[in-house]
Amino acid sequence: MTPPRLPLSRQPLRQLQDRIATGLITAGGIGVLLAILAIGVFLIWETLPLLSFGDALTLSTLSPLAWGTLKAALAAMLFATPIALGAAMYSALFMSSRLRSRIKPTLELMEAIPGVVIGFIAGLLLAPWVERNLTSTLLLIMWLPLSAALAGGLWHLAVARLRKRLPLSLAGIWLIPWLACMAALALWLAPLIEQHWLGGDLRRLLDQRYGLDYATRNALIVGIAMGFAIIPSIYSLAEDALADVPHSLMEGAQALGASRWQALWKVALPTAGPGVFSAVMIGAGRAVGETMIVLMASGNTALFSASPFEGLRSFSASIAIELPEATPGGLTYHLLILAALALFIFTFVVNTLAEVVRQRLRRRYQRLGGAL
Amino acid sequence: MLASFSSANAASAPVMRFSAEQCCLSIAQFHLAYAGKAALRDLTLDIPRHRVTAFIGPSGCGKSTLLRAINRLHDLNESVTHSGHIQLEGQDIHDATMNVTELRQRVGMVFQTPNPFPMSIYENVAFGLRLQQRLPKRKRDDIIEWALTSAALWDEVKDRLHRSAWQLSGGQQQRLVIARTLAIQPDVLLLDEPASALDPISTLKIEELIRNLKSQLTLVLVTHNMQQAARVSDYTAFLQHGELVEYGPTDQVFTNPRLQRTENYITGRTT
Amino acid sequence: MRRLTPRLYNALHSGLWPWLCAACVALSLLMLTALLTLLITRGLGHFWPATLEEVTLVSGDVVIGQPVREAPLPNADSLERLYFTGNRDITGANWRWVAIEDIRHQTVPNDLIRLERSPWGDFLGRLTAVESEGQRLTGQEAWAFVNNTLAKPASQRPAGQLLLTTADGQTLYQSLDSVTHFQTPNAMSWGQKVVTWGQRIWQFLSEGPRAANTGGGVWPAIFGTVLMVILMSVIVTPFGVLAAIYLNEIAHQNRLTHLVRIGVRNLAGVPSIVYGVFGLGVFVYGIGGSIDSWFFSDELPSPTFGTGGLLWASLTLALLTLPVVIVATEEGLARIPDTQREGAVALGATRLETLTRVVLPMATPAILTGMILAVARAAGEVAPLMLVGVAKLAPQMPVDGEFPYLHLERKFMHLGYHLFDTAFHGEDVQAAIPLVFAIALLLVLIVLALNLTAIFLRHYLRRQRGNEC
Ligand SMILES: Nc1ncnc2c1ncn2[C@@H]1O[C@H](COP(=O)(O)OP(=O)(O)OP(=O)(O)O)[C@@H](O)[C@H]1O
Ligand SMILES: [Mg+2]
Repeated sequence: MTPPRLPLSRQPLRQLQDRIATGLITAGGIGVLLAILAIGVFLIWETLPLLSFGDALTLSTLSPLAWGTLKAALAAMLFATPIALGAAMYSALFMSSRLRSRIKPTLELMEAIPGVVIGFIAGLLLAPWVERNLTSTLLLIMWLPLSAALAGGLWHLAVARLRKRLPLSLAGIWLIPWLACMAALALWLAPLIEQHWLGGDLRRLLDQRYGLDYATRNALIVGIAMGFAIIPSIYSLAEDALADVPHSLMEGAQALGASRWQALWKVALPTAGPGVFSAVMIGAGRAVGETMIVLMASGNTALFSASPFEGLRSFSASIAIELPEATPGGLTYHLLILAALALFIFTFVVNTLAEVVRQRLRRRYQRLGGAL
Repeated sequence: MLASFSSANAASAPVMRFSAEQCCLSIAQFHLAYAGKAALRDLTLDIPRHRVTAFIGPSGCGKSTLLRAINRLHDLNESVTHSGHIQLEGQDIHDATMNVTELRQRVGMVFQTPNPFPMSIYENVAFGLRLQQRLPKRKRDDIIEWALTSAALWDEVKDRLHRSAWQLSGGQQQRLVIARTLAIQPDVLLLDEPASALDPISTLKIEELIRNLKSQLTLVLVTHNMQQAARVSDYTAFLQHGELVEYGPTDQVFTNPRLQRTENYITGRTT
Repeated sequence: MRRLTPRLYNALHSGLWPWLCAACVALSLLMLTALLTLLITRGLGHFWPATLEEVTLVSGDVVIGQPVREAPLPNADSLERLYFTGNRDITGANWRWVAIEDIRHQTVPNDLIRLERSPWGDFLGRLTAVESEGQRLTGQEAWAFVNNTLAKPASQRPAGQLLLTTADGQTLYQSLDSVTHFQTPNAMSWGQKVVTWGQRIWQFLSEGPRAANTGGGVWPAIFGTVLMVILMSVIVTPFGVLAAIYLNEIAHQNRLTHLVRIGVRNLAGVPSIVYGVFGLGVFVYGIGGSIDSWFFSDELPSPTFGTGGLLWASLTLALLTLPVVIVATEEGLARIPDTQREGAVALGATRLETLTRVVLPMATPAILTGMILAVARAAGEVAPLMLVGVAKLAPQMPVDGEFPYLHLERKFMHLGYHLFDTAFHGEDVQAAIPLVFAIALLLVLIVLALNLTAIFLRHYLRRQRGNEC
């Protein structure tokens, strides 16, 4: 069995090709990485001229914008954090795994809905509707959590057969019609409540009693719309952190007689805490920088006001509106770039923090998973 | 006897020397460490040409590490440091004039776990050939058939040469990677447990192949199967904790080991 | 709470919280479904030939219109209804609120027509006669003539005009070539309505905007979006893959690489508007300005490349999506077992050969996924484009028959920006809302389809790679 002989051959070309390609990839790779990292350098470089303006430089034009940015982000976080974390806890620990494999990608797909679409719906549909039905909106916000608890209470009272048909592990699905009905109920009740207890017009009441102005596009609308937009990113990261808690830990706690919820509260949350925290941080980073939703849903009035019913203007919206008109080299131009730098630094720091925390967490899980 | 039993240092290991024309690979004072953790310590041995040399030793003793060092695969891993010399046909493989890809074409390597590429069976075997030169299709087909036949795989795959290699069974995959290495016709063939996933029939075929190939190339075989080592190899080296404990003709190592440690390992007694 | 008996406390604590959490999932899903349903019904409903009503009021006025919605009257128990009446050229408004109480009589006559005209928008009323080439046709002949002629494109129609009557009896002469669409919705059968509906969706996708962006189609915007996204992926894919290969296969894996990796990952979280600022400052004013002063100095001060345009927009979005591609590719590369690389290397392959013949083919699904995710992100991104080159209404398409065919310096239209502009800067936002819904639906469908493709690729291609060759 002799092999068919191979003619001997040497190819110095191959070595050369390899050298050149490695060199090119190295150069290209470093170049690309530098190009991305150049963003920070550019922003700092372009804000340096601000120093030369001396007395003419007043940062007071920026402060209402900073306030608006924070207010919008805060409103969004207030709306999104409880929902996203609640959803994460439920889907990581209570939901049936088959349902989870469907629901999770669906909710993550929510993240892909462009901001401009959400902004349009918020600014042109939600805002006028809320203005006309302020009572209903506020009632809904209070009524929906209550109705969820009510569902839980009813479930505990229900007969065993019904409980088996509608288990907690599928509640994420069958609560949808329940919530829809409850929402409809609230909408039906709202005008009556407004008539009887709120003097017929809540907005006038707010104005007369508390001196609160109501702007059509306000922080409340921004909070709801942007909250909707950042729910998926918080949810997805927090869910990952919670679902990765080693099983042995949870089982250990439950073996000691803790209920599933207690195990979650006492074991899973403390263990996954950093991951949940980093999820919230990343959500905050998104909320601070989101442009189109704020631009379309906020009215863009630069105000210093804590009222949720008044408009606001954020850094990102100002940049989008004013920068194209600003003359390069002028004061406004550099001030707006300063605003962009602030956004950049804030998100970069927040994300780095979140990333570091997440890596710590991953190591902790490996240790725990290995130890137990 | 008692003296060599008590001391475990390399000085007591016999240094078996071959003359220059008999010697294919010559390893001298070779040290290797993974990120500072020594895996091979002061290894010195000669591997004779056109013979089968078997490496045996407990798991983790550095057998695979040694084979990879001969192929300079450790170049890919930055954390590896080494010292000492390995000479292939009198030329140091770490020499600046040594062309690494050429070295690897001359020294074929079959890994402990089969790693076929996600391509067709045909393409897997043709991979090394295509790198070297443009062959007419006829000639290439001949070589591929020869390689697959040698690796005792041809009959099983000849109707599905263009199917994915990942669909083969573990044992078939192992024979495929042997065929892949044979196709480039190396001078030295390093086999890291080539029969670990094979049934007795295929194992016999591989052993048959090893015996046949001996006339053309130098073979180095790592195995955990003592009978196999005894059946196919001409020389056997016993490694422990990265050190060469005993090296000699297979008959002698198996029937009359010089050290108690070797005997314990071969007979399966715990020390 | 502690005062309560421990059992009750426990039951409340462990019993109700999970339900609140479950409700969070349900609520998120509910909001998502509501949003999608809203977009789909309103977006597709826009093209449905809506029934027109003729209402006679107590005051004697007659209104022809399409009912839009009802709202409670302030300080009264009854409702009022909003009608879309069209005829802005005659009455000065497109809309009319009618109190339900004031309606004496309400009918759905079959002879009501709805015309889309290129100035002034819609006309709602009746067709009296047609005058063409000296002839005057009435009754059945007029209908037959109108159906025939208006099916042809405007340039092939004979000269002539329609004699129209509004609800309150005014007459209007409308020349034939200014009419873009003609329908008699009340007389249509269900099948005809479906056909018309399909036709109008097609027109929406294939025609340009009309009436200051409040009507017509979005073809230039689709074209602009697609072109920009293609240019962007042509730029971002090779560079992203290059950077990922460098980071994963060539660079020494030390602390610095680790830091760079975290940095790249974090850049994915930097707001898109910041990239827009970078694009404006560096690409438009920096590079574009320099190109202008070197090559197009005779055209200054009107800028050629020194203003936002297709090239700068693509570059900016490429930068924005680089982290996405790099991260996805790196994940794909890291997932390839080292034994594969060693297998190739042990057969004598150089690093380049290992890369091109083994590693890259195996990483292709990951690269594709990254690319699609990048495209999906870019397609929905509007904020940076507002700074670097999108236009409300681009006079010229960026691709045409004129050398060099692809005009990188031109402004272009973009679906997302078109949506923003139509919804917020139009003259009659109310009239534009149905159209905006259609645009929003289109945008969401494109982005979701891209994302779904990426998910599909990620899940299935990876699994199937072993079976195919
Ligand atoms: N890539 C690596 N990085 C760090 N240490 C390694 C690496 N590969 C091997 N080692 C260590 O080097 C030592 C020798 O490993 P090697 O793989 O050579 O053992 P082996 O003799 O082939 O064992 P087996 O018979 O189980 O295959 C082991 O202690 C192992 O932990
Ligand atoms: Mg081994």
